[in-house]
Amino acid sequence: METVTLTIDGRAVTVQKGKTVLHAAIEAGISVPYYCYHPGLGVDGSCRVCIVRIEKMPKLQTSCSTTCADGMVVSTRAADVVDARASVLEFLLVNHPLDCPVCDKGGECPLQDFAYTFGPNESRMDFPRRVFDGEGVKADVDFGPTLMLNRNRCILCTRCVRFMKEVDGDAQIGIVDRGYGSEIATFQEEGVHSLISGNLMDVCPVGAITTRDYRFKSRPWDNPAVVDTICTLCSKGCNTSAWLKAKPEWAKASQLIRMTPRFNPAVNGYWMCDIGRFNYHWIEGETRVRRPMLRRADGLEKVSWHEAEPRLRDRIQAAGSADPSGVRFLASAHTDTESLFVLKQLVEGLLGPDGLSAVTVTWTRSEKRQPPGTTFTVPSTNAPNVNGARDLGYRIGRGNDGQPDDADLRGDVAAGKIHALYVIDPGPDGSLGDVSWILEARLNGTLPLLVVQTVALSELAAAADVVLPGAAYVEKDALYTNEQGLVQAVSQAIAPPGEALEDWEVLTRVAKSLGLALGHQQSRDVRRAIAAAMPDTPYADADKVAFARPVSARNWLQASNPSERWKWDFMFLDLPPVKGHSVQTEGTPMEGAFIPLKPV
Amino acid sequence: MSFHPEMEYAPARFHRSARTLAEPGGDFTFTPENQARFDANVARYPADQRKSAILYALYLAQQQQGYLTAAAMRHVASQIRCTAAEVEDVVSYYTMFYTRPVGKYVLNVCRTLSCALRGAERVTEELSAALGVKPGETDPTGTFTLMEVECLGACDRAPVVMVNDDWHEQLSPQDCAAFIDDIKSRGRAAFTGCHLHKEGEPQGPPLR
Amino acid sequence: MAYEPVLVKHVAEPNAYTLDSYLKHQRGYEGLRKALTFTPNDIIEQVKASGLRGRGGAGFPTGLKWQFVLKDTPKPKYIACNADESEPGTFKDHVLMERNPHLLIEGCAIGCYAIGAKVAYIYIRGEFYHVQEILEAEIEKAYAAGYLGKNIFGSGFNCDVYVHRGAGAYEAGEETALIESLEGKRAQPRLKPPFPAVAGLYQCPTAVNNVETLCNVPPIVLNGPEWFTGLGPDKNGGPKLFCVSGHVKRPGVYEASMHTTLRQLIYDEQYAGGMLDGRTFKAIIPGGSSVPLLLEAHLDTPASFDDIQKAGSLLGSAGLIVLDDSVCMVWLAMNLLHFYRHESCGKCTPCREGGDWLYKLLQRVERGEGQEKDIDLLFGVANNILGKTLCAFGDAAATPVLTTLKLFRAEYEAHVREGRCTIPAEWRAKQPVFAHAH
Repeated sequence: METVTLTIDGRAVTVQKGKTVLHAAIEAGISVPYYCYHPGLGVDGSCRVCIVRIEKMPKLQTSCSTTCADGMVVSTRAADVVDARASVLEFLLVNHPLDCPVCDKGGECPLQDFAYTFGPNESRMDFPRRVFDGEGVKADVDFGPTLMLNRNRCILCTRCVRFMKEVDGDAQIGIVDRGYGSEIATFQEEGVHSLISGNLMDVCPVGAITTRDYRFKSRPWDNPAVVDTICTLCSKGCNTSAWLKAKPEWAKASQLIRMTPRFNPAVNGYWMCDIGRFNYHWIEGETRVRRPMLRRADGLEKVSWHEAEPRLRDRIQAAGSADPSGVRFLASAHTDTESLFVLKQLVEGLLGPDGLSAVTVTWTRSEKRQPPGTTFTVPSTNAPNVNGARDLGYRIGRGNDGQPDDADLRGDVAAGKIHALYVIDPGPDGSLGDVSWILEARLNGTLPLLVVQTVALSELAAAADVVLPGAAYVEKDALYTNEQGLVQAVSQAIAPPGEALEDWEVLTRVAKSLGLALGHQQSRDVRRAIAAAMPDTPYADADKVAFARPVSARNWLQASNPSERWKWDFMFLDLPPVKGHSVQTEGTPMEGAFIPLKPV
Repeated sequence: MSFHPEMEYAPARFHRSARTLAEPGGDFTFTPENQARFDANVARYPADQRKSAILYALYLAQQQQGYLTAAAMRHVASQIRCTAAEVEDVVSYYTMFYTRPVGKYVLNVCRTLSCALRGAERVTEELSAALGVKPGETDPTGTFTLMEVECLGACDRAPVVMVNDDWHEQLSPQDCAAFIDDIKSRGRAAFTGCHLHKEGEPQGPPLR
Repeated sequence: MAYEPVLVKHVAEPNAYTLDSYLKHQRGYEGLRKALTFTPNDIIEQVKASGLRGRGGAGFPTGLKWQFVLKDTPKPKYIACNADESEPGTFKDHVLMERNPHLLIEGCAIGCYAIGAKVAYIYIRGEFYHVQEILEAEIEKAYAAGYLGKNIFGSGFNCDVYVHRGAGAYEAGEETALIESLEGKRAQPRLKPPFPAVAGLYQCPTAVNNVETLCNVPPIVLNGPEWFTGLGPDKNGGPKLFCVSGHVKRPGVYEASMHTTLRQLIYDEQYAGGMLDGRTFKAIIPGGSSVPLLLEAHLDTPASFDDIQKAGSLLGSAGLIVLDDSVCMVWLAMNLLHFYRHESCGKCTPCREGGDWLYKLLQRVERGEGQEKDIDLLFGVANNILGKTLCAFGDAAATPVLTTLKLFRAEYEAHVREGRCTIPAEWRAKQPVFAHAH
């Protein structure tokens, strides 16, 4: 790597050639404020707060647009820089409402933070503030199906404009009017309609763009913990952070409150799609299965694991002893690698080396309509682990590129050849695709036994003889292999509810009740077995994978925008800890938490 | 696309933006003549730079129906091959595009320093009195719109008034009422045209 | 020896704008013919030797600008002629294009040849439609006569000149904003570097030149650099157009050498002919509304780039706005800040927010509702804009406030003390409307 060395505030800083002074300062932990700059977007140079003094240059320079050169001498603390920065911040605040106490960005707002750190102590503005759509909450106007816009708070950094143009590929946001009257707008107030619209909340450095989903629901100080995890709602595997809100003390556990993207240049860059961001409510939803259930004459009855297991064993043994080929499994490709491995051990133990032929892996596909110029594509395959199933030897047809191959199973069920069908469905609802053929067989009486291991009381689960409560993706530490073949660690953010168990554990218990002792006590044991079984593959180190733990959110604020995360890692460590939350957090940032910036 | 039942997708209960929108307008497409003009203009720029013709396209649309409706902006977007938001962005930036109907004669009085030193503020007041409208308004008959604009670049002939694409120079406050009457009776012939042009040359009548 | 006008000698004659007139009186297109016998680099060297400085406002040497245009690139190169003349008090390009369009067309062609461009776009402000009609018609005539188009004078040199109409935006006169506008976007400035000479129009090497600048090129090629330098003071050679407006007897565009003093331009019979009857000189803005005021004591300063700068102002676009003693300096600053507030593109923070703030403060003081602290605040806010904006617009917007405060602070104080405008004038509005544009 070719490097240049410059001096910033008297410190020698060495950075990759071609990086900007702002980059260099951030990497060196030197605090320089900025708004229009975002590492995932083009440089604009318009907000003017990142100005610094560079020796031999006549005027103050914007550090976001100045490329580092050898021997450059930069000051971010010279008196003229301090004054100039404060005056730009004063300009930014002359029309910005001071409604931080009711603003959704309050507590994680770069304008708030930088104004405290670098701004003037008081404003000299004594004219009424500019108001666009009304005062207070009336100023929040419709900005499309997922977003709200508050123009009074907007500081015209144009990150949203550039995001839509450069990343989404459909420039739906523009500026209308000019100069003092400029405002962010969509054509004729039609709103933003994009599959990746939620990122606009992340890029907005103030509370102008908020998501309808998160708005008014929580404040940063109500979110004591964040877990770095992976989204599993499609085959892309975006790196995300799951935000936990503390419930009142009497409610014990914490609650999943939002998902934000986490920088990974190899997978998702700085972004994630709206499906992954907003489709998490089912995890703690009303239909969640919390206990095993058994079918009685008058319907499904909630029972304990100790009641469910003997019944399940008896019925499967009955079906299997009559005709082993009549016992089949249908696994969603949302099933994690650990559980698929245990399932493989189970079927091979029960049915012999050819056991995997009894398992059908299924998923759904839907074409995502996106602009042709988008630089963030959302894949069609809605399941995260088709490649994980492939690597374990399951039959997956054309894999991520095509539809699942379930014709044999469908045919056999319709022909009445199947005596027992065991379905694994870790959610979300609908990810098995069409199940009408199973329901039909149940109605006809041609499928005598249906076992459903699931998270939600779906139509299929409601038709089952035995329902076993499994875990959703944020409720377990597990591996998933994305469309690129990248094995990623999905970390547990919350515990499975009630008596629900992680899916590998459900399968291990089922195996044990059928007389098959697999010996897994923890998910790590399964990964150890995977590593041993699959040397010379990406899974060879499965047992060494590190999973993230909940960490104090104060180190994670701005996690959606790593370019801003540094200041929490470097600047505010001496803040008192956030109080009154129920999740154990650590006081220091995780090792390696600092994420390097994208080169510009 | 709705991701969960709690997410509000019918925005009726939300506050509406106070922004003034362009009129939706009826179906709009260029007349064949204007389409031909546009096609000729866009050929002046590299093939992958159609957006350079956006101002020209907007002028054509504005000439065609007097002002720019949302439908006209959409049509321009389709011609330029950009988004409608990008067109609205441009329309709202430049002062010479109208998104609501204007009078047959748009009187643009230069209000900047050199004209103001020679009485432009008084000219606006007198025109306003003669027309019975304030700057920014159109008279009830739809004949005149009065506007104040920034420096027109003819400071030696102050005060200057641009009327649509024509110019009228050295309009004194005392002459304003007569000037309006003159336009009513003679139309474009009432304008002095721009400085220095001579009798027999194009650009309307000679200087007085 | 009396100065012999070069650029506007014939403009008052009937049909001055025609090709016939140009060929007959101005050795039309001989400069281009001659230029094509030199190498492009020779032309750049001649323009460098002439010391021609940009006539748009900054006064940057044109030859250097052309030399900086990237040569080793497969990309096309462009001339973008800045005909967005919008600086208050400036109307010289207007006259050149309206009355002597072929001089500009020839200048564009020579400029293209010099930098290796094949296309020149003349970006003309939307309000100059009457000028555009003349210019476009004359461009057609130049094509028909073989001065534009393919294989000009059998040299193999091809050149197209197109007129591109703006639509009402002062900021489009900033060279990178002009490029943005040419590309079909809002006229907002770009970050520099990269400079247009490296990545300008369509990210290709581009020279952005003012109309008057390009009009000086054919005479330089025809008459040689020494002729040009001999016309004016050292480093301020050549003919210069001065736009005199305001409270003078004969406002107008006057061509003179830069030896000519401000006093001559205001008082001489061949120029503006003196102050209006019964009026007394108070101050002059010597270079368009964006430059500091000069007073009586400065009037013997030659109107050259360097001399005006030494006197504490800038020649800028050579728009001389002459102010008599009926002008209230608070009103003047307010009038200009209305302009800058309205024309700010809104891209960068200090100009967008600061311009509006200044305007509101000036309104308050002018109305007689200001306090002593408002005067200090005006100074503070204007200073805070200075030097912090993306383009020169911010400095331009702060200047009217800073210069009037520096030279006429007593007038501000009188407004505050007496609670009214202390210098009303009969030419101002009878019932001023302190309207907010927004």
